[in-house]
Amino acid sequence: MNKRGEFNFSLIFALVAGAAILVLAIYGAMKVSDTQRYQTDSEIAKKIAILTDPLQAGFAEGKKGEITFTADTRINNYCLDGQFGANEISVSTRAEIGDEWKDSGAATTIRSKYIFSGMRETGKKFTIFSKQFYFPYKVSDLIFLISGKYCFVDTPKEIESEISGMNIQNIEMGNCSSDSVRVCFGSSNCNINVRGTCTGSCNTAYDEGYVLKNGKKLDYTGSLMYGAIFSDTGIYECNVKRLMYRSGRIADVFSKKTDLMNSRSCNTNLKGDLVVFGGMALNASMDNLMQLNQIAKLIENKNQQELCRAW
Amino acid sequence: MVNSLKNGAQMKIQQMAFMIVAVLIFFVLVGLAFIGWQFIGIKDNFNNLQKEQAIASIRTISDMPEFNCDSRRSLCVDEDKLIVMANSSYSGFWNVASIRAYKILEKKSYLVYDSKQKNRKEFSTYVLICKKITGNYEKCDIGKLSVGVVDG
Repeated sequence: MNKRGEFNFSLIFALVAGAAILVLAIYGAMKVSDTQRYQTDSEIAKKIAILTDPLQAGFAEGKKGEITFTADTRINNYCLDGQFGANEISVSTRAEIGDEWKDSGAATTIRSKYIFSGMRETGKKFTIFSKQFYFPYKVSDLIFLISGKYCFVDTPKEIESEISGMNIQNIEMGNCSSDSVRVCFGSSNCNINVRGTCTGSCNTAYDEGYVLKNGKKLDYTGSLMYGAIFSDTGIYECNVKRLMYRSGRIADVFSKKTDLMNSRSCNTNLKGDLVVFGGMALNASMDNLMQLNQIAKLIENKNQQELCRAW
Repeated sequence: MVNSLKNGAQMKIQQMAFMIVAVLIFFVLVGLAFIGWQFIGIKDNFNNLQKEQAIASIRTISDMPEFNCDSRRSLCVDEDKLIVMANSSYSGFWNVASIRAYKILEKKSYLVYDSKQKNRKEFSTYVLICKKITGNYEKCDIGKLSVGVVDG
């Protein structure tokens, strides 16, 4: 009787202890797997920041690259405004077991780049292309990150040749497939509608204008048009604010440079204009974009007429 | 008889408890070794990514409108802009630990940004450092642009 009791106790004790060890081991393995995924996702976010360096247009009109992942991946873009601001890029990969999308890895903060995308871009293949942004001097390269399909309708020739020159396969010209987001130039029958308002000395009417998207009107100038088309409206407004601040800071650099040039008798009369423009740009937002663009055009004309040009 | 049975059972429980403790300690040690190995991997990856970023950003920084001679030439830095940037506060903008430019022949250096972080490793590239003298004449020197990153 006693022996049976002893055997039962040992068996129960071993079972409980064994189960506890097994549960702990499974829990530990899951935690390690989560940590590894967090580490990989954080590394991918950092690598995206690094990969965008050579993808910046630099001296080219535009540049294009592709990032392909083996599993479905979600790239989150969070924009912080306030002075230089930043884009915070984080990544989460889709899991085969457990929660489909776990918390994203550590975000990489990118202050000197302007990344236009949706708040969450999901897919295996991401297209990244960049275009220069002038206001009136070069301010930065704008980076556009897209994962979905777009179809441009009634595209002006200049924009069509720009897109086909970069061989962006996500963007169809005419002949739209059913799963693509339609972007109309000049008309208003599409998901996104672009209106050009540039008159006078412009390459096309679409050098400046506005984009109608999700019931919002997004003003643009130059290559910001692509930002307004492809990015989330909040990210667009935030990046425009950051670009205006950067433009203001560069105006300050140029205005101090003109002092140094004048001291060498390489005279330029741009200082006054640059100080005023810089002051206005520092606190500007998308609402002031068109007004500032007019001043930028005047400053550019003045600079072109100088013997000693500031840029 | 009952006492010896009780003692035997107690011994077995003690043996099993010791065994469980030993197995747990073994797993904890294996876990600690694994975490340690993982941390070495993370540190190495972090350092490699920092270096990759520094190397990739040297060209990007030299081509930024805050430094470049004009928007048509790569790896050409405007000396006037260097002087201005060395005296202005652009902190909170750079993703690197330091930016410095040297004029090699004149042995003149411009410290544009210094985060004052220790354990820095610097990467550099040759650039042209130019200054516009008149509308058509520019004086250029050979220089180096050096970018620092925090080294593990």
